[in-house]
Amino acid sequence: MSDSRSDILVRLGAIAVTNTGETLVALGLGSCVAVLLHDPVGQVGGLAHVLLPSGSLSRDRGRPARAADTAIPALAEQMRQHGASPQRIVARMVGGASMFADLLAAGAVHIGERNVVACRMALRKEGIPIVAEAVGGQGSRSVWFDVGNGTVTVRAVDGGTVTL
Amino acid sequence: MEEFDKLEALQLDALKEVANIGAGHAATALSQLTERRIMISVPQINVTGLEGLSEVVLDPDEIVAAVLMQMLGDLTGRTLLMLPEANAKLLCDLLLRRPPGTTESFEDLEKSSLKEAGNILGGAYMNALSDFMGMMLLPSVPSLAIDVASAVITSAQLGFGHDWDHVFCVETDFHFEEAGRKLKGHFLLLPDLASLKAILGAIQLT
Repeated sequence: MSDSRSDILVRLGAIAVTNTGETLVALGLGSCVAVLLHDPVGQVGGLAHVLLPSGSLSRDRGRPARAADTAIPALAEQMRQHGASPQRIVARMVGGASMFADLLAAGAVHIGERNVVACRMALRKEGIPIVAEAVGGQGSRSVWFDVGNGTVTVRAVDGGTVTL
Repeated sequence: MEEFDKLEALQLDALKEVANIGAGHAATALSQLTERRIMISVPQINVTGLEGLSEVVLDPDEIVAAVLMQMLGDLTGRTLLMLPEANAKLLCDLLLRRPPGTTESFEDLEKSSLKEAGNILGGAYMNALSDFMGMMLLPSVPSLAIDVASAVITSAQLGFGHDWDHVFCVETDFHFEEAGRKLKGHFLLLPDLASLKAILGAIQLT
């Protein structure tokens, strides 16, 4: 994928932003969604590893990066602090799979799907266009976001690899 | 977390005993299914933030075959059976009475066998809990995923749990030998918080 020495692993419920060309990595995204923001001109990139659609589902209010509605404004703000121009920021989304979907009650919506919808809404609120998505399905994904050249590589658990 | 912190040593021991009874029955079922001697570990109780759960069990990046069942009735929660991929293939061979090493990938027949094994184990576990505590427990149908361990656990808890901050997990490991190879698996009981209280109530330790 890329040189592991310049990889930054973004764990569950965390945010990372860089303007020095590292690769941001999120592994084993099941129902979680990785939101990737990129300013291709300023070479600023950020990744939020989101677990929940809304912060209201969590008692832990001190961790904005866990939920879509709080993580995306925080990520956009950190992008600006790292020198990204708000007009140039574009978004990509990876994850939001519906694992064990056959156990859901009839009519229920899987948390993976809810996460995807919540991320889209939060991005629209921030005025950030989504340029690519690899979301949904049943299996997990891992993502490598090379901030230096803007390449986003997504590997699905069944071995399929796509570039966004 | 506050609620979990209040659990006393006696209550934790009692929970381990409850889990041990459940796991014992599940192991007996697996033993009859495979005609092998199954060894089980002393149950471990883990209380952790969701972020830490994938580090508690297994290697988080390992591919596992996982069977999730919902527990319904007087108690709610989930049971999760996890087998490392290679071990799951060997279990398929045992269940399908084929020479070890026959299973190369998980096709419909193999997936169905694993689901059935998970169903029997989960059912035995829940039956034992139900008898012991005099509560009605209904297992759901089993659901199978073959995926990265960390994604399996977080999806099971986020998708079907009611607490998105902390996880209370009772883990029992089991292992057996087949053709000189050690097979291991993990059985997790993930009760919802209200049910945890109900379990302690049922064994009169609240």
